[in-house]
Amino acid sequence: MQDGIDGLLHDAACLHGLVDFVQQYCTEQLVSQSYLDATGDFFGYIDELARGTKQFLSDSTASASRSRQRIEAVRADLLVVKDYWRILHAFIKPASDAHTLRIPCSLIRLAVRQVGRVSGMHDAKVAILLTPELMYFQTPHTHLKDLAAKLNKVIPEAAFPPKLGFVELPYSQGPGFFNNLILYHELGHFTFEELCSSNLFDSGFATLDAAIIDSLQNNVADFSTRSRQAQWLAWELLRSWTQEIFADLFALRLIGPAFSFAFIELLGLLGLLRDGREMIFSESHPAQACRFGEQVLQLRDDRWWDAVQDVRAEHLELITDVAGRSPDDYKLDPDLFDQDPGLILAFRGILPAIRKLVRSITKGAAAGVGEFHKYKAHVRKCLMQGIVPSTPLDRKVPTPTAIINAAFCFYLTSLPQLMERLEDQKPSDIERRSYWTQRLEMWTLKAVEDCEVVARCQGELA
Amino acid sequence: MSVLSRREIQVRLRKKPDDERGLIITPLLCGEEPFDADSVDLRLGCYFLLPKVLRTPFFCPDEKSATCLHDRVHVPLGRYLVVPAHQTILGATLEFIKLPCDVSGEILTKSSVARTFIVVETAPWIHPRYRGCLTLEIANVSNTPVLLYPGRLIGQLILLDVSRHPTELPKLSHKYFGPVYPEGPKFVSPADDLLKIGVHPTTILQQVPVEPELGVRKRVAPDGCRKP
Repeated sequence: MQDGIDGLLHDAACLHGLVDFVQQYCTEQLVSQSYLDATGDFFGYIDELARGTKQFLSDSTASASRSRQRIEAVRADLLVVKDYWRILHAFIKPASDAHTLRIPCSLIRLAVRQVGRVSGMHDAKVAILLTPELMYFQTPHTHLKDLAAKLNKVIPEAAFPPKLGFVELPYSQGPGFFNNLILYHELGHFTFEELCSSNLFDSGFATLDAAIIDSLQNNVADFSTRSRQAQWLAWELLRSWTQEIFADLFALRLIGPAFSFAFIELLGLLGLLRDGREMIFSESHPAQACRFGEQVLQLRDDRWWDAVQDVRAEHLELITDVAGRSPDDYKLDPDLFDQDPGLILAFRGILPAIRKLVRSITKGAAAGVGEFHKYKAHVRKCLMQGIVPSTPLDRKVPTPTAIINAAFCFYLTSLPQLMERLEDQKPSDIERRSYWTQRLEMWTLKAVEDCEVVARCQGELA
Repeated sequence: MSVLSRREIQVRLRKKPDDERGLIITPLLCGEEPFDADSVDLRLGCYFLLPKVLRTPFFCPDEKSATCLHDRVHVPLGRYLVVPAHQTILGATLEFIKLPCDVSGEILTKSSVARTFIVVETAPWIHPRYRGCLTLEIANVSNTPVLLYPGRLIGQLILLDVSRHPTELPKLSHKYFGPVYPEGPKFVSPADDLLKIGVHPTTILQQVPVEPELGVRKRVAPDGCRKP
């Protein structure tokens, strides 16, 4: 590594090369593909940041050349800029992969609109990333925003888009529909993080944090005498579990039982529905039995549970079975750093506070079971005929959440009947079954898209 | 065979989705605007198939045609697609259609669109009981590129009454059943097709050896060895 001004110029030129490539890459992607608005905003930010970075490199190296005492200060700033670009680098390729042909756009737009109706989440935007993992993630963005704010002092030209979150979908599930309902859970994480870091719902989340501390003190025997770090670790553990339950209940409030069905589908696909595992609390997640127990409670409270009782599908039996396990049998993962059984008791103690918080913030965004009752039979009739379920009933287009739940019920119970209506399509033929599942998902996605088109035409959407 | 009037079309549209005599066109936007005296206007959808630049010197309509001939493109509402002069692309209607068991359909270019030298459909016939968004062959026969905006009116659907009773209905064919995007052609291999009429493929098809990477013919020496 060179020293002095030569070394600085070398470093600056290397960074310039990287930034220039990324800027061009984003511009090329925007020209050759269509993206959701949030991704467009993100790429717009990258473009502004790239221009600002280039200007900063040019100005700062010029000032260091004039005055050698500035070299160290410029180097320090350069480190901040480099760090930020290194982190951003990881977002750009997965975001560019998620163009509109590879993701269920209308479902994502619907979900984001619903999140926008949650108190404090107006104007929220979500950029989709495609991940090589067979899993859904919400990328925590608070750290990124903190770094962006820090960088803003060095490069004031670019401001990180406000209320922008990142959700990762597995690339193989991109154009599908039913499994992608898991993204509602990830939007729950996004909402949790966003509201926690804003002051708007501070009181609700502060109450939750206080409830975690109280519950730990009441249930973990030596909690008060533990070291600060041990207390903090226990609190972090419960907060991770809390966020998972929050995200599950949030998803259920917005999209109804279709989320639980999608969750079972995903666990099945990943091979995670194995005996014994459903009772274990891991470092990041509460036991599946606990999660399904909470889901059933909420579905009952929202009157969804009765509405899907006639669905003769393994999924419902599985949910009932897993949710019905005794909380006394919950166990901690043997690999967990803390083996105090009081942790589970403490967590059970704060479940009512989580339910209450989710209910209060989703008041204006909840999926209505009444619409589901109204349109369920109609959606079924349409799908059995191979018709998109956005077809109006008595001149009214069914609501998207009613369509999604009814279509999921149809998928779980009636796909073989649909195939039997068609020439040479045997339900026992796996390839054909998979083909008709895809068709069913396409009809459902098209129906959600139609709802959006109709709403826009009627002036209900901007 | 008679053309369905506006009133007859609207009566058919009011029938239930599982009624074999029912007609479905969804979404129907702007109230009564799409209806003419004897037709329904249809809009352009957001998905297109553009011809690929092939790596081979020819295109053989066979079982791979559905996927190898086109590139898929999405143009959201509010944006446009440029169709270069003398190019043909595949699009689809925004509307999903289900035809009754006793009605055939024909899609025609809207006259205002045709006057811009955009021609929709050279295979315009739609069979009874068809369901799906209609794949449209859209040709720009003018000398200048033309912009296409998804969501704008592009064609008109004419419906014709055919005598048929719902009790005679066989199972639905799965070919082209329920597409919502434009779909490429579905062929079987030419060999299988021709065998049905007793033609052995080797007597009519000269297999042209092709370098797949370069798309050029191999130079093969008479003795079968490659030339140095």
